[in-house]
Amino acid sequence: MSTASQTPTRIIDFKTAARELLPPGASYDACLSCGLCSAGCPASGLEGMDPRRFIRMAMLGMNEELSTTAWVWTCTQCQRCKYVCPMSIDVSVLVGLARGAWPTEKKPRGIVRSCEAQMRSPGTSAMGLQEEDFVETVEEEVASVRAQGERFARLEAPIDKQGAHFFVNQNSREPGTEPEEMAPLWKIFDYVGADWTYSSKGWAAENFCMFTGDDEAWRKMVEQRVAAVKRLGCKVWLNTECGHSFYTLWKGVERFGLEADFEAGSLVSYYARWIREGRLPVNADWNTQGIKFTVQDPCQLVRKSLGDTMADDLRFVARRLVGDANFVDMAPCRSANYCCGGGGGFLQAGMKELRWAYGKRKFDQIMTTQADYVLTPCHNCHSQIEDLGQHFHGGYRVVHFWTLICLSLGILGENERKYLGPDLARLGL
Amino acid sequence: MDAQTAGHGQVFETEVLIIGGGATGTGVMRDLALRGIHCLLIDRRDLNAGASGGNHGLLHSGGRYAAADADTAAECRREGDILKAVAPECIDACGGLFVAVEGDDPEFAARFPEHCRAAGIECKAITPAEARALEPCLSEKVVAAYTVPDATVDPFRITLENVNHARELTQSIFLSHTELERFVVAGGSIRSAICRDSRSGETISIHARQVVNAAGAWAMRVARLAGCSGVKLLYSKGTLIISNARIGARVINRLRAPGDGDILVPGGTVSLLGTTSQTVDNLDDIHPTVAEVDRLVAEGIAMVPEIAHTRFIRAFSGVRPLLLAAGAAADGRKASRGFSLFDHESEGLANFATVAGGKLTTFRLMAEKTGDLVARRLGNKQPCKTETTPLPSGDAIRWTEPGFAPRYWAARREPGGLILCECEMVPTSAIDAIVDNAPGAQSQMSLNAIAVRSRVGKGSCQGAFCSLRVSSHLYDRQVYDSPEGLRNTRDFVAQRFKGVAPVAWGEHLPQLELAEALHCSLLGLDHLADDRVVDDSAQQAPAGVQKP
Repeated sequence: MSTASQTPTRIIDFKTAARELLPPGASYDACLSCGLCSAGCPASGLEGMDPRRFIRMAMLGMNEELSTTAWVWTCTQCQRCKYVCPMSIDVSVLVGLARGAWPTEKKPRGIVRSCEAQMRSPGTSAMGLQEEDFVETVEEEVASVRAQGERFARLEAPIDKQGAHFFVNQNSREPGTEPEEMAPLWKIFDYVGADWTYSSKGWAAENFCMFTGDDEAWRKMVEQRVAAVKRLGCKVWLNTECGHSFYTLWKGVERFGLEADFEAGSLVSYYARWIREGRLPVNADWNTQGIKFTVQDPCQLVRKSLGDTMADDLRFVARRLVGDANFVDMAPCRSANYCCGGGGGFLQAGMKELRWAYGKRKFDQIMTTQADYVLTPCHNCHSQIEDLGQHFHGGYRVVHFWTLICLSLGILGENERKYLGPDLARLGL
Repeated sequence: MDAQTAGHGQVFETEVLIIGGGATGTGVMRDLALRGIHCLLIDRRDLNAGASGGNHGLLHSGGRYAAADADTAAECRREGDILKAVAPECIDACGGLFVAVEGDDPEFAARFPEHCRAAGIECKAITPAEARALEPCLSEKVVAAYTVPDATVDPFRITLENVNHARELTQSIFLSHTELERFVVAGGSIRSAICRDSRSGETISIHARQVVNAAGAWAMRVARLAGCSGVKLLYSKGTLIISNARIGARVINRLRAPGDGDILVPGGTVSLLGTTSQTVDNLDDIHPTVAEVDRLVAEGIAMVPEIAHTRFIRAFSGVRPLLLAAGAAADGRKASRGFSLFDHESEGLANFATVAGGKLTTFRLMAEKTGDLVARRLGNKQPCKTETTPLPSGDAIRWTEPGFAPRYWAARREPGGLILCECEMVPTSAIDAIVDNAPGAQSQMSLNAIAVRSRVGKGSCQGAFCSLRVSSHLYDRQVYDSPEGLRNTRDFVAQRFKGVAPVAWGEHLPQLELAEALHCSLLGLDHLADDRVVDDSAQQAPAGVQKP
């Protein structure tokens, strides 16, 4: 980010941009200076900035300062400011605009490299995972799950299955670094008899292009994925346990006016549905030790996309899995939840100290719940909260939903327990 | 001398007593101090409390008066050039446009360049398309446009600089909240001025060799206290409204005979739309009305259509003290914008002078002429130096400029530097500098006084939050040590409310509701006990915060 560069930063007229980009009545002109946004923004104080200040500086014409402040890379665009604003003013839109105007060589390298890798890869993988590597990894892992025993001897993880009901995407982290973490999800699909497929094209569930502020790149990512779903003729694009990959497609289709004749579904909604339908008969009988769980609402999935309906589903699934008595909510939560600081590309941006400072609020929230585990259906939340726990010595663990579902169903393999602590390492084996 | 013999009250000795802390009075103070003369300036309220605070801050090119009053126009042009040279930090040389829209008198527009030429005002015709390229906010219906060298001036900063400079030069003194009650006249001269501190109620006696009446709209009253009836003024109330953000880059004038809503003046980060003109008899309880605001908006839209959707955050009114020449029509629009210096010698006083009329743009010239008279009477041979001597700035007197505090903050990035006013981004350090060292700091620097010396209370929240934060800071610093501070806060927000109420529609209405909830429902400021000494701000403020 501090690389010396000759490319001049484009100076944005934020006041004008706000009038154009924000809906009537929610322009920066409507700001009451009440500070609800900054009071509830974990990025307040970083780089001397906060959302209200961003708005006021725009109204005061401080375009150069706003066009160059590194604060835009510490704002995760979580939109909590917009959610609490009595005038519904959205600062994140202008933060996105500011990010996009930074010269590429000055943007955080990690975010830029991830987007570039996605643009180069037909799979749209930010880790640059190639099509053949993905296919091969899946096949190897399928073989290994089948070898676990008779129960999963005929388990399948189809790739490019024409006409499958669900088009399932996959965060690159699993095939890239921990393929055994894919197995629990496949077992769930197998359990409920889902008709699903991966795709060799547009399979990845991450979109760092949105975080670079480059709308064109964001659009290209979404276009490739929409085309991949259409190619296989699937009815539902089923997003894995990931927040921003859902938002980027769901919002991108609308923002760029794309045609997508399929449902954008979240895995969590389907977990809830399958549990309600009795197809996924999970329960908390295993939790005899009274292990406490809390849940992190991914901003991208809850506040920014599906709202409290998603928050309800999350809690329904979590309570069924761990038992009502063992579930502790954070405060505030649901659509008013604080971002953990893993979003917006912050995790990839290399600004560790700032990211920890941002995440301290989330850490404190978690510690207040006294939970042993944090459940979250988001990879960025997962990584950040885990990192916060290590940095601030929280002693809690972070776990995917698929792990607990398989644990509850008694089908979690021995090597699928990476994120479980010693208390659960042997349970049900 | 009665104050001394009475054994109570303060007594001041000075060479020149100046009455009125506006641009003119402070201009006279500095003019005389530059000649080595000690002055004492008093104001019944505070600096800029009259027309010097209630105006649009326009530094006239003269274009506005070119058609009707070539002398005033030429005077404006010359004085504008001088101020741009000696006080550039107070001036935004933004330029100006005169535009006629469909329906305006085409002949008036056609004669404009000729009138400007006669007054020596640089004026260039541009096409309507060129005008819209310069100012995209202009109406499609613009039919004629001219550029002129209009500029804006920060009237608060210039008075603060005047007072500060006089203090540095001759230890001249400014006393706020000092109301003149009577003069002691003997032997054809004023021996002393008997005043009252409106906050403490104490008597103040001032002995001066010369007395200058620069009381603006109140000059006629002051002159009468000295037994002089020659000063005759016409009071013309003018109302303006302030937008939440700057609209045009330049001053935009309507090219027609002066009327309501014909000028949009940038004020740093905001714009001011003005001005109404209504003759009034009474100087008390001057406040803007909904009808005036409606007229301004309706007329302003013709030049700048976006005014229809602009968020305005406050309206305010001032009184133009216009000279009433014998036999002149009592019409504020047609009265002369020129000024007069009365030496009162024909009325039997040898040490009294009144300077009246004029404009903000010409205050320096008014001060020069007054200074010449007073210096001559004192036997001081020093020439006027204000034409060439730059006005010095200072840490405590630079906070009135819109946009300065945020730029200062952005440049310094003090990690621990708390911002007390979020709208205008005024840091704690600014408040501290003002409390410690701004003109008037020798007496209590209240929230009201700080607001005059900074942007506190002037942003979109109109004091809803900063009034409380700054007041808390003043209690923390022990500037406030009694419930009087809270009452000051109450009066401040009540005063702000008078200006906010007439523009309370659209996006600004929720702001008002929020302020009411905060000040009345949460803090109960409207139920604050009112047992206190007489404060002049009480004359401005209602007994409690009015509810919309």
